[in-house]
Amino acid sequence: MTRDELKAYIAERYSDFLKPLETGKYDPLYEVDVTKLVEVAHALKEDENLKFDFLCNLGGVDTGKHFEAVYNIASITNNLRLDFKVIMPYDQAEVESLQEIWPAINWYEREMWELYGINVKNHDNLTRFLLPEDWDQGYPMRKDWDAPDFKRKPEL
Amino acid sequence: MSYWPIATLEFAPLFSWLHEKLQATGLSETWVATVSYIVLGSIVFGVLSLVALYLVWWERKISAHVQQRFGPMRHGWHGWYQTIMDAIKLLEKEDVVIEKRDKIVFFWAPVICFVASFLAYVAIPWGDGLIVADLNIGILYIMAITTFTVISLLMAGWGSNNKYALLGGMRSAAQIVSYEVPMMASVLTIVLFVGSMSMVDIVKAQTGWVWNWYIFKFPFGPIAFITYIIAATAEANRVPFDIPEAEQELVAGYNVEYSGMKFAMFYMAEFINMFTVSAIATTLFLGGWNGFAFIPSWIWFLVKTLGVVLLLMLFRWTYPRLRVDQLMEFAWKFMIPVTFANLILASVIKYLGWYW
Amino acid sequence: MRELHTEEFIVNMGPQHPSTHGVCRLVLTMDGEKIVKIEPVIGYLHRAIEKVMENRTYMQCIPMMDRIEYVTSMSCEYVFSLAAERIAEMVIPERAEYLRVIMLELNRIASHLLFYGVTAMDIGALTPFLYGFRERELIVDLFEMTCGQRLTYNYIRIGGVSRDIPNGFEQKCRKALEIISKKLSDYEGLLNENPIWLKRTKGVAILPKELAIAYGVSGPNLRASGIQYDLRRNDPYSIYDRFDFEIPVRYNGDCFDRYLLRLDEIKQSIRIITQALDGLPEGDIKNKKSRQTFKAPAGETYARIENSRGELGVYLISDGGKKPLRVKTRGASFNHVQVLPHFGTDMLIADLVANFATLDIIMPEVDR
Repeated sequence: MTRDELKAYIAERYSDFLKPLETGKYDPLYEVDVTKLVEVAHALKEDENLKFDFLCNLGGVDTGKHFEAVYNIASITNNLRLDFKVIMPYDQAEVESLQEIWPAINWYEREMWELYGINVKNHDNLTRFLLPEDWDQGYPMRKDWDAPDFKRKPEL
Repeated sequence: MSYWPIATLEFAPLFSWLHEKLQATGLSETWVATVSYIVLGSIVFGVLSLVALYLVWWERKISAHVQQRFGPMRHGWHGWYQTIMDAIKLLEKEDVVIEKRDKIVFFWAPVICFVASFLAYVAIPWGDGLIVADLNIGILYIMAITTFTVISLLMAGWGSNNKYALLGGMRSAAQIVSYEVPMMASVLTIVLFVGSMSMVDIVKAQTGWVWNWYIFKFPFGPIAFITYIIAATAEANRVPFDIPEAEQELVAGYNVEYSGMKFAMFYMAEFINMFTVSAIATTLFLGGWNGFAFIPSWIWFLVKTLGVVLLLMLFRWTYPRLRVDQLMEFAWKFMIPVTFANLILASVIKYLGWYW
Repeated sequence: MRELHTEEFIVNMGPQHPSTHGVCRLVLTMDGEKIVKIEPVIGYLHRAIEKVMENRTYMQCIPMMDRIEYVTSMSCEYVFSLAAERIAEMVIPERAEYLRVIMLELNRIASHLLFYGVTAMDIGALTPFLYGFRERELIVDLFEMTCGQRLTYNYIRIGGVSRDIPNGFEQKCRKALEIISKKLSDYEGLLNENPIWLKRTKGVAILPKELAIAYGVSGPNLRASGIQYDLRRNDPYSIYDRFDFEIPVRYNGDCFDRYLLRLDEIKQSIRIITQALDGLPEGDIKNKKSRQTFKAPAGETYARIENSRGELGVYLISDGGKKPLRVKTRGASFNHVQVLPHFGTDMLIADLVANFATLDIIMPEVDR
């Protein structure tokens, strides 16, 4: 399917789950409600004509007004690509883990939690990996995070 | 009785002069013997040290030219005294030791390795008559002495109090012991034909034309040579069998905790071992010091031995490394059957009198 | 007979090790010589590039993108420019597109030559390292001629490229490609049929197809497991749809196939560059709107290209200002390190070394 056909197919079948967003250029971009995330992921993976089996990327975003989690997926078998995002307010930053559907997402969710503080439910290993183990300065990628002016001395 | 080798024309005057000097001092026979052997031993030690230094330089230049670069070029013409500079540097390095090592074992491991490598040269003929002691069990003695390295590797691994060094030491001990058997069988093939284990007899059986050399005695000669070279590469811990020294593997090997002069002893012992196995290959298969008449015999010996050393060095810079279980599988499942079949073939040929 | 009591022990293949490419720590639980569990510990090279890029203008972001994956810097710069150009809907002049393709493919060849050298060195053959780097010098000289840099180029701009190629580039490039294709047969002759190499890499560490797709493995690792998916064909960007080249595929998924596939890819890249050099048109090298104060309109997109390691992606969100709002980079090696514990166990350490080398993992992509 070409990109326009994909957009038409999704508008026809999944219009109540996936709302198209105009800001996405090139690949179709949709917005998904936080509560329906797992359902949508299952549907996208198991639909016969779509079969989105490859997760390309998951990134957290802090727009200054809310958090977002952007998922970029692809289908190797049908040669399709799609993006969708989940918008969350600051005080309700939580998503479900999708690691049974796309096992690759495990480390991406860990990174998102570590840098943004977006909690991931049902994840098996939410521990630090990019930042040092004794990091206690908060979630760095947030817009309101200020790099404290300090020089760390190693513990001797 | 002369304690000096019955040397060739070039060295006979020197040895007879030394012998006269000693007898002129009027000491008793045993003292003359002792001092003679000490001086002879020092001469051999000196020659071997030069050989070891030269081999290190040779390896660096060969590896460089294989890899299309130059190697040492600054110290002397094409870096010929680079190794001397490196030895001086190693002498002045701090001897870092671990607090919790096993002191006696840690200290004696490099000593045993070093001494054992030199002891093998008692029975190696450097030229026509240039042999320290023509033992009638020559080759057996050399094989026995080269096995001492296994003990020193295990001691080094244990004494370092380091689990990686211990693993490395055990692996290399297993490797050396496994490859002793095919080496022994290849050597036995030749000894069978000569009928004597004395190194001088083996060389004397190859006088005459080039096709008297045992490497050309089909069908068992070339096979024995090839299996001997493979086993010798494994004995000398060279690639493709250099698991004990490989940095890319996890275990860094038995000499990881040694520094300074102790490390230099292991290093030099490795090169001396390489020269030993090449010298044995030359003696058994390539005719020893035989060659055209107008070039001295010791030059022939050196040229042939260095040729085999060159072969071993080229192996290092061409082949990847075998995995440790593949290495053992190769020894036990391939080398041992082949060498024993070769030995049986050789004994059948000798029994039927078909040799030429 | 009584069972001997054995214990598993933990060994640290530490961050500094001659055969981890970059700083990656693998905590191995071993049972004798066999590996039972691998736990990769990353983060030693985390430089917070994404956070810093939120405070830099678009032009200043280009050299930062270089450092995301410094072996194939051209690809990193290109993917960022592609994302910005897609948001701004810019048209790139023809000459710039051709130059970009030439640089990208030259970078791919350089990266695969480095892979060849380093893999051979890890498995124990010490000489191919120097041969690979000798050929890589030819390519790196070409880059130095063009943009002055040997490793991180800062060459591709949003809207084109920064400089035109100098005189003599084309002859030198063709000469270099000719030398490389001749030497490739040397490399193959040295290792492909060597029984020791085959014993160390054939049948070792097979990556099954389903596991590869599930864990997001892309690039040559995916194609060596039998799936013909290459973004230059499946989702063509730039002018790749004008060139005639094949996508090599192999079906066993072991170390040997991964190694062979990359050598095949070098040959295909040589084809592409030759075609690009033949068809190089005259013209501008930059779009008129490409300048230091580039402002993208509001929008977001995910741009993905086929790097020499796999899929390199950038999710760029722009709010209309001079600086991007969010740049999320996705490196292929992140997924490869993640999949390593799932198929890299139950083998000896020597196999792990071979496996890690043939996966062609570069750590800066993982940690950013």
